[in-house]
Amino acid sequence: MKRYSFFLLLGLFILTLAIGFGSVLASPVPAPDQQISVLHPNFILLDADGVNVLDSGKSVSTMRTCGQCHNTEFIASHAFHSDLGLSDYEISTESWNSSRGLFGEWEPLTYRFLTQNGDERLDLSTAEWLMLYGDRVVGGGPATTSRDGKALTDLPMSRNNPETALLNEDGSASIWDWNKSGTMEMNCFLCHLETPNTRARYEAIRAGQFGSANTATLLGLNIVSKSSEGWVWNTSAFNENDELKSEIIGIQDPTNANCATCHGEVHSDSEQALTVNACDLNYPQTATTGQVIAAQKINESGINLSDKQTLNRSWDVHAERQLQCTDCHFSPNNPAHALEIQGSSPSHLLYDPRKLNINEYLERPDHNFARGASAQFNVAPEFKSTMRRCESCHDTNKSHAGWLPYNDRHMQVIACETCHIPKMFAPAYSTMDWTVLQLDGSARTECRGIEGDNTTTDLVTGFQPVLMQRTDIVDGKTLLAPYNLITSFFWVYEDGFGNLRPIRHADLEAVYLDNDGYAADILSAFDTDSNGKLTENELVLDTAAKQDLIAGKFKALGLKNVRIYGQVQPYSINHNVVDNKYATRDCEVCHNSESRVTTPLLLSDSAPLGITPEFVAGVNVTATGGIINKDGSLYYNPVNENDKTYIFGHNRNAWIDWFGALLFLGTIVGVAGHGTVRYITARRQRGRAVETKSVYMYEAYERFWHWLQTIAIVVLLLTGLVIHRPDLFSAFSFRNIVVIHNVLAALLAINALISILWHVISGEIQQYIPHPYGFIDQMIAQAKYYIQGIFNHQPHPFHKSKERKFNPLQMVTYIGLLGVLLPLQGITGMMMWLVQKVPSIQTWFGGLPFLAPMHTLMAWLFASFIVGHVYLTTTGATPLEAIRGMVTGYEEVEVHE
Amino acid sequence: MKKRFPFWTVGLLGILLLILVPVLYFLPRPQSKTNPADFIPEKPVHVDHKDIINGEFKTGPDVTRACLECHEDAAAQVMKTTHWTWESKEFDVPWRDEPVTIGKANQINNFCISAQGNQKKCMSCHAGYGWEENKAYDYTKAENVDCLACHADMGTYGKGNYGNPAEGVDLLASAQSVRAPNRENCGKCHFDGGGGNGVKHGDLDEGLYFPQENLDIHMGGEKNMQCIDCHWTKDHQVLGRMLADNYTIDPKEQVSCEQCHIDQQHKDERVNTHLSAVACQTCHVPALALEDPTKVYWDWSQAGQEGREDDHFTYLKIKGEFVYEKNFAPTYLWFNGNNEYRYILGDPLGEDGITYINKPAGSMEDKTAKIFPFKLHVAKQPYDVGNNYLLAPITAGEDGYWTIFNWDTAFELAQTRMGLAYSGQYDFTTTYMYWPTTHMVQPADNALQCDSCHGENGRMDWEALGYPGDPIKWGGR
Repeated sequence: MKRYSFFLLLGLFILTLAIGFGSVLASPVPAPDQQISVLHPNFILLDADGVNVLDSGKSVSTMRTCGQCHNTEFIASHAFHSDLGLSDYEISTESWNSSRGLFGEWEPLTYRFLTQNGDERLDLSTAEWLMLYGDRVVGGGPATTSRDGKALTDLPMSRNNPETALLNEDGSASIWDWNKSGTMEMNCFLCHLETPNTRARYEAIRAGQFGSANTATLLGLNIVSKSSEGWVWNTSAFNENDELKSEIIGIQDPTNANCATCHGEVHSDSEQALTVNACDLNYPQTATTGQVIAAQKINESGINLSDKQTLNRSWDVHAERQLQCTDCHFSPNNPAHALEIQGSSPSHLLYDPRKLNINEYLERPDHNFARGASAQFNVAPEFKSTMRRCESCHDTNKSHAGWLPYNDRHMQVIACETCHIPKMFAPAYSTMDWTVLQLDGSARTECRGIEGDNTTTDLVTGFQPVLMQRTDIVDGKTLLAPYNLITSFFWVYEDGFGNLRPIRHADLEAVYLDNDGYAADILSAFDTDSNGKLTENELVLDTAAKQDLIAGKFKALGLKNVRIYGQVQPYSINHNVVDNKYATRDCEVCHNSESRVTTPLLLSDSAPLGITPEFVAGVNVTATGGIINKDGSLYYNPVNENDKTYIFGHNRNAWIDWFGALLFLGTIVGVAGHGTVRYITARRQRGRAVETKSVYMYEAYERFWHWLQTIAIVVLLLTGLVIHRPDLFSAFSFRNIVVIHNVLAALLAINALISILWHVISGEIQQYIPHPYGFIDQMIAQAKYYIQGIFNHQPHPFHKSKERKFNPLQMVTYIGLLGVLLPLQGITGMMMWLVQKVPSIQTWFGGLPFLAPMHTLMAWLFASFIVGHVYLTTTGATPLEAIRGMVTGYEEVEVHE
Repeated sequence: MKKRFPFWTVGLLGILLLILVPVLYFLPRPQSKTNPADFIPEKPVHVDHKDIINGEFKTGPDVTRACLECHEDAAAQVMKTTHWTWESKEFDVPWRDEPVTIGKANQINNFCISAQGNQKKCMSCHAGYGWEENKAYDYTKAENVDCLACHADMGTYGKGNYGNPAEGVDLLASAQSVRAPNRENCGKCHFDGGGGNGVKHGDLDEGLYFPQENLDIHMGGEKNMQCIDCHWTKDHQVLGRMLADNYTIDPKEQVSCEQCHIDQQHKDERVNTHLSAVACQTCHVPALALEDPTKVYWDWSQAGQEGREDDHFTYLKIKGEFVYEKNFAPTYLWFNGNNEYRYILGDPLGEDGITYINKPAGSMEDKTAKIFPFKLHVAKQPYDVGNNYLLAPITAGEDGYWTIFNWDTAFELAQTRMGLAYSGQYDFTTTYMYWPTTHMVQPADNALQCDSCHGENGRMDWEALGYPGDPIKWGGR
């Protein structure tokens, strides 16, 4: 008896263990964590007919189930994630895009064209579109509804309708029965479960079992399992009221991991080393921009980055500081975030406290989440720029105070991201070349930021985004912002109705491939080393012969007007922000002959011959630069002058610099020649003494004013030169030189104003005002003196006295200098400074691109004047007498009878 | 009268001033900061004692007498320190009527438990000679001060039984090698406390003899700092107090980061907002026992098993079972620098099954307290069932537990040697001892970052600390 019970117990024990292990291995139970809402009640799972799934055994209907409390109709109709462009689906003869979302917008990265009703050839039918993009389609919208708003299940079935057809491998079309496959409702579980089974869901979608995709999301959570009969609901997950226990399903606010499912690489566990695949379209955001959302320090990741040890900063400072995706991309009617409906408040009202209460919000949460204005996502453009931007949270005046000169001006032209996302460290696509086909049916691709293709074994270098003009949708401001550019090349043809269409993938395969290898004529045309294989280098349409061959083969397939099309799509980079410590801070990065602003970006290493791609239209990014071809490689070359910006130290007007330099050198040569002749003649006439007397020529204030002005102008010229050519004077701190320049300019202006007052009050102003009568003659006389008399040691034609210090030529020069040149220089300088405070100045006479070169020109004139002026001081009674006079006040002047 | 300077020079000076003053005013300037390295004490020039000291030294005190010939006050100074007394000043504690003192001389810990009665071995870390069991130690005998322990080149000197020089030490060579103490002098006891490398502290181990920068930025960094560069020493009074051997500690007697890092704010304002609640050590000592493991658990009740194989890191017959850990996150508590409680021999056991050897003081409400990292050492150690207090076994020596493995004898011996009454019934109970961690400071790059504490994977138990939840959402204090 005892023995029996022992064995019985042992058996039971082993059985329990086995079941325990089995269930642990088969289905990991999610550990509930604090994210999971403790508020969420238990709830009944309903099928599409509104019957408890425990009774019906059918697939769960999220719309019905969640709709018991939440207004799922409202949510689905306020969710661009669900809509994906269906609501603005419209066929146009001008564009091959039939919408602005994933459903209808041509996407050359994945390269399948959603066939429009009436197209000649069937490419992607609705069903296949869903199978192809299923892991990024949340359901609802085009997954349940036809293009004209009917339920997909109600459509009359026809193989000629792309909504109810499917392209077979042999090129024929078959009918797709939506009633058999079911349609895919908006899948609430996908974003609101801690561990949705995305893999099982995608497998169901791939298999065309759209109706079971949402239920598949629950597989492995101990709620439901699959048998040959259908779904088997696990009753232990339900309570006595047949309600699913809330703690088992774990409903929560969407976490970063939920968003990552579709968007890109998100890494929340800093203890685990982050790794990414290079250019992996399963992580679209990372593959297209290199953005990685992770708090981990870059040098603690598992990526083989060059200079990795120095990268002691997190991938994204906002992730590091524990911001969630939903903190910025929130539901616009979430009372916690309380986004004001733009323009709807009276202007006197700073804050409107009337918000939804939490119950109202939970019933009808708006799922048109706040978002930026990226260049790559165009669905529901009316919701672009609804999120708070950097400056909504950060006060740039405070954060840049004390070190960034011209803060306001920088903010007027540069987006925060430009300096605060200086570099991307994950690789991203640069080129997607579908004009050729690899053996596995994929395109020839190029990936930037990596030397090779494996981020753990090849060297990852990262890349600098290119800066382009981004126009804000709300305030219309245009700022320089960072982008990645992906260039795609593909063949297009004109179909029987004259519509331009990308050539179908099936036709590409027909042209390039033959059974499991390349077609013989393709091999002989491309295989330059004749080894029977096509490497990536060989697989490029770099000759007209190759292009003709392919075009000819397309023609043979009945495709008309075949040609290669190239397009450049900018991808906005807004994540991977770094804090002040790692942001671009050196002025010289931009203010230099090699400026960050105009750094070109390689578009494509080897582009098809003769194809210059075009930037996609209809986005808020303007490419003001040009695409250049250098040895078969294409570059985008930004040209900042086209943006009406003038970057000190980078932009220069060569004509002005040449003119100024010649003038300056000419003056030096002139005075040197004049001085030499004077010296020679003076030696010949040595001994002819001139009678002089000492005169108190300059009052203390005059001398003070003069020398202050002298020092200020000289320092201004020198500092101006550094600002103009920082590349030649890199020893100086650009920032400090700018400050010194500004301070001295202010001093010079104050000095000039006070001196005008003094001259007017003391009447000394008269010194500068010529008496018109005979003035021309007097000028000629003075000029003749400089040309002839001075060499013959003749006396000065005009007597210099305290009352009349200036000869006629001096008067004219000083009027020009002090009355015209100095004020003009001051005004242009002041306006350049004021641009940041009064942005409208930028629109006056061409703004900085006009003001700055003018300022430079006048600086050259000043420099030349100083040379002449200093030389002419030596023409007094003795060479140094005039300078002595300006220093001490007393000057020996010639005695004239 | 001829002016010394012509008038125009005054004008020129005025002009230059007029230009320079505003330029300097407006020039962006880096915030002036004190350089922490300026506070490293300057050491007196080393005097080589090779030619000064000669003669024949038979015993330690012989050497000390020679030292005192020139350094007359040295012994008197040392004798005022706890390195000599092994006992704190008197504290009034709320749970006792009489003032108490704390130290190895009269109290216990939860490692080897008691130095009292085990002088033979334990005194190898006493800065004196000849402290024996069963004999009252003469604290006034200057010649018993061990100068060599701190001043000799540790390649020449070592201590043996009862704190006397180890056998075979060439005392003359040791005496001739004297100099300012370096890491090896301090490390001999402070790195190996608890009976081996890194056992006790978790932030002090033999790795600090030749540390890399990544082990300790101070000692392994470019300044190659010595212990006394922070533990400023004057007249043999070493700055810094050991928490467990005190009840309250006057901040003036404690080493702090701020004694060198004065007004050094972080560049990041967000980081600075932490400073009112988070100690420097919390972020800058992110992990304990970085390279050499430290003991975190010691179960005395498993000691004495016949036939079980000894292993330094898991089991020793004489000591019981252990758990060592390496590179792990500290335990975080509010800490104002004092103890809230320190077990005094004779105190009853804790009521919730845990007896605290020491319990750091501080709470969220205490404005002087900051969140501070500790190494928590948990032990199962013997207590007197009849008297409900912790026992202090005699382990070393002839009849000690380590020789005959008899607990009763060990406690009875203690009763005779220390006067700790033993009822004849013992058992084992759980004790906690907290060790503040402040060494092995990491380069700034290795400091904790936001997500180390905040968010899903954070290491802080916010609610245990008294917060309603993660302060990133719920707000700080």
